[in-house]
Amino acid sequence: MRAAFSDALVRLAKADPTVLLLTGDHGYALFDDFRRECPAQYINAGIAEQNMVGMAAGLARVGFRPFVYGLAAFIPVRVVEQIKLDVAHDQLPVIFIGDGAGFVYSHLGTSHQSTEDIACTRAIPDLAIYSPADRFEVTAFMELAYDSKSPVYLRMGKSDRGDVHVALPPVIPGNLLAAKSGKVSDITFIATGSLVRTAMDIASENYPDAAVWSAPCIKPLNSQQVATICKQSQSVIVLEEHSVLGGLGSAITEIASEFAPVRILRIGVNDRFSHYCGTYEYLLKEHGLDRSAIELKIHDFLAVN
Amino acid sequence: MSAMIPQTKTFDSKVLRKTVLDMAYAGSTVHIGCAFSIIELLAVLYRNHLRYPDNNPLAVDRDYLILSKGHGVMAQYACLRELGWLKDEAFSGYFADGSDLKGLSDSRIVGLEVTSGSLGHGFSVGVGMAMGAKLKGTDQKTYALVGDGEMNEGPIWEGALFAAHHNLKNFMVIVDENGFQAMGSTQDILELGSIQAKFESFGFEALTIDGHNEAAIDAAITQLWASASTAPKALIAKTVKGKGVPFMENNNSWHYTRLNPETYEQALSAVAGGVQ
Repeated sequence: MRAAFSDALVRLAKADPTVLLLTGDHGYALFDDFRRECPAQYINAGIAEQNMVGMAAGLARVGFRPFVYGLAAFIPVRVVEQIKLDVAHDQLPVIFIGDGAGFVYSHLGTSHQSTEDIACTRAIPDLAIYSPADRFEVTAFMELAYDSKSPVYLRMGKSDRGDVHVALPPVIPGNLLAAKSGKVSDITFIATGSLVRTAMDIASENYPDAAVWSAPCIKPLNSQQVATICKQSQSVIVLEEHSVLGGLGSAITEIASEFAPVRILRIGVNDRFSHYCGTYEYLLKEHGLDRSAIELKIHDFLAVN
Repeated sequence: MSAMIPQTKTFDSKVLRKTVLDMAYAGSTVHIGCAFSIIELLAVLYRNHLRYPDNNPLAVDRDYLILSKGHGVMAQYACLRELGWLKDEAFSGYFADGSDLKGLSDSRIVGLEVTSGSLGHGFSVGVGMAMGAKLKGTDQKTYALVGDGEMNEGPIWEGALFAAHHNLKNFMVIVDENGFQAMGSTQDILELGSIQAKFESFGFEALTIDGHNEAAIDAAITQLWASASTAPKALIAKTVKGKGVPFMENNNSWHYTRLNPETYEQALSAVAGGVQ
């Protein structure tokens, strides 16, 4: 997935000399190819994220196409106001890449973990939010972000969970993508990022008729499609490696409550910080996001239906 | 509101101050003192330095003026009126429901480059524009006009490091050093010391001048651009908050006070009498 990201970035930069990569002194090995292929388009802005985003706005104003890279804990969370005021207010074509979202930096603690970035950015007008689940979605949404010529936050979470698609799917901004086909069924899964793979594994084993949808685009979100999915199901399970407040679960629930009321189980990070450190798998377990904890939550939810 | 003086394109400081008073009175707005400290700076920039080919505020090869201290925007509106980019109706209807001109700089107004008011933003955007001009190889210049209170903001210093590291000799920060910020004097709130020395220590080439002496402003800007150094430039303008109206000068309440019929008339006659 990270290789797909780097490849897409290099491809876009080689095709368009106005593409610039700004990094806040992050991405040590990730940008080796970019620096080799497009050295004049690489700017390490230093450990100064607020200035970096302001500069990206300035560069976009004079005709450049900046990609601003940082860890999701910093880009976008540290610079929410710069994104709002300097970039989104004027619909400038700046693409923000928040890497390591969720619990990727499991050993480093709260400063480097990011489970509030979607909530922090969803209410900013004219900012699209992408959350790809695999290398195919990364490639498609990097290109979509570039083609949109408008502000985008692209969230990259745990990147080694395997493919969820078998080929590059045709993407329309806002649409959910089928990750596992299903029938009209009691239960439907909608997930984003790292947890799409988990949802597919759980569905395949326990709910073979259930469809699994990937939401690579958190905003905009196709309300009509979401309402149709909700109408065809007794229960909807939404999964994300992000707070249950203000993320995909909230977005789906908002649409459903208006157009297709249905019971929805929002599985994500409860309103708490990590207490301990450990492997990524350990952190998922601490937050009840490992596969068996999720299966239990779903079982309990369906039992009271 | 008194009859507006015709547009002149001379950027006469008396006319600019009168325009500010007229609009502040029409809209019952604050930030008058903040606008009056930068009148001469803007007048000199617009009259002698800023390049707008064909008087086009959106010309791709224009120079960039960024009002980072967005609360001084009435002074810039007054200049845009001189240029004919804003019409008199915008001034008489200032702050009317559904009107365009806001109390802080908004990039959707043609002639204003950025949306500011939240401080410490415009400086970085300006550094980005200067970097862009350098990458494109153009001779465009970028000015960022900041307040001394605004120097409290961290991104200013982040951007200063960047501008110096990348030798952005096409970038000039102009500091409106009027000695006050919203709640009091800069000395009492966060002592700045020598702003010139601070910028020099960051690698800028800096000069300090009287920010109400137009000849001195003009000469300093010319001198800084003429320098052979690749360093970014800093012009520290010693100014007086509320300059031009004796009862407003160095009286920080005019950051917030609105005009009434009496103070409006007094201010108009002070401005008409000339700037000390």
